[in-house]
Amino acid sequence: MRIRFKTEGGIAHFPGLSQPVTIDCDQLPTQEAREVEQLVADARFFALPAGAGAGRQGAADYRHYTITVEAEGRRHTVQVSDPVADPALQRLVAYLQAKARALRRVRSPE
Amino acid sequence: MYQRTAQRHSLFCILPPHILRSIAQNGTAQQRTASMQTLAIDHTFRALRTRPRLGVPARPRMLPAEGMKVRTIFDARHTQTLPGEVVRIEGGPPTGDVAVDEAYDGLGATYDFFWEIFERNSIDDEGMPLDATVHFGQNYDNAFWDGQRMVFGDGDGDLFNRFTISLDIIGHELAHGVTEDEAQLIYFFQAGALNESMSDVFGSLVKQYVLGQTAEQADWLIGAGLFTANVNGVALRSMKAPGTAYNDPVLGKDPQPAHLRDFVRTFEDNGGVHINSGIPNRAFYLAATKLGGYAWEKAGRVWYETLRDSRLRPNSGFQRFARLTVSNAARLFGAGSAEEQVVRQSWSEVGIMIH
Ligand SMILES: [Zn+2]
Repeated sequence: MRIRFKTEGGIAHFPGLSQPVTIDCDQLPTQEAREVEQLVADARFFALPAGAGAGRQGAADYRHYTITVEAEGRRHTVQVSDPVADPALQRLVAYLQAKARALRRVRSPE
Repeated sequence: MYQRTAQRHSLFCILPPHILRSIAQNGTAQQRTASMQTLAIDHTFRALRTRPRLGVPARPRMLPAEGMKVRTIFDARHTQTLPGEVVRIEGGPPTGDVAVDEAYDGLGATYDFFWEIFERNSIDDEGMPLDATVHFGQNYDNAFWDGQRMVFGDGDGDLFNRFTISLDIIGHELAHGVTEDEAQLIYFFQAGALNESMSDVFGSLVKQYVLGQTAEQADWLIGAGLFTANVNGVALRSMKAPGTAYNDPVLGKDPQPAHLRDFVRTFEDNGGVHINSGIPNRAFYLAATKLGGYAWEKAGRVWYETLRDSRLRPNSGFQRFARLTVSNAARLFGAGSAEEQVVRQSWSEVGIMIH
């Protein structure tokens, strides 16, 4: 399973934070890979509509996330904005945010 | 536009009306009597309310509903469930929770600024209650306006501190409500960048007003204090020098242009709303510093009147907005006045020519 995660928007546009990150479960420790797959399954990701909620009228500075999951020959992309209502999808987004944060730290040693 | 509900017009009280009504229904006999009296008084004063007029003293003593704010701070307790639990209501004592108390004080400062300077009675000029939610999400690196309330994360502690730390951020979020009420500037491309710029302008003015700073003394930064010591940067944005607020290995470099020639064409960030806002932000900074004194007195007044101008459309771009600021400067200070010329000159310095 591969997940591509992109964050946009928020109160400022940070070029470094808007770079998409890719998480490849084959590269993760077995335990973590299993957890990621469980998060995706719990969110019923492949059954989610492509636009799972946009900012409401007059809203501003909210973030949106674009999540693409590839697994077993399937590929699905979902766009979602804060606040994420579905608790299972919220947990997936929270994991991806934490993971993206960790990856950026590793990639930016200068 | 906002839904007009009875609750939003109920102002003469310390407790929000929904809480009063709840007490009236569920409280002890004594509490019920007290709360129903307050609701009744509220109703009486509501009938007396008039809209603020020019020339009326800023604090009309006979109409306590005007100029009275109704703040409610909610705690999401690190979930993403809105609104969260009520933790501080209008008139309640400090809680000791720094985010709760900063939100409460920041909303108060923003309300007071709009009331004392522009005689604007809250977001809708009709006394709309001010609601904020703090401790939203986990390690949440953002603050946003959801169309009805302000929402603040605690930051991850690695790059960002809590988002209530900067008064101008609180003012920025509340100003989004003001812009939506007055102009409904579409949150995309140039209209969206103007929407963002209005929030930076009024957010910064709130901070300058509280600090008693002149345009010359102000730092013109948005979100100073928000970054942790790990970040190479001073703030989210600089109105004085867009593009210079940060340059960091993780965050990247501040992408804001300071001049129309560097306008960024993109579909990211709602078409660059937080990027190209640097151009009108700098025009405001230039006008305010050239005019001198307190930025809210002249430049702030011109921008506020432009936001309220019916010729400003939801899809207006920089050119129309700039032309309307010149028109409003002429209306407020006289055709051919120094103020009108300064405003025109300031736009020309960011590449927008008004003839
Ligand atoms: Zn904003």
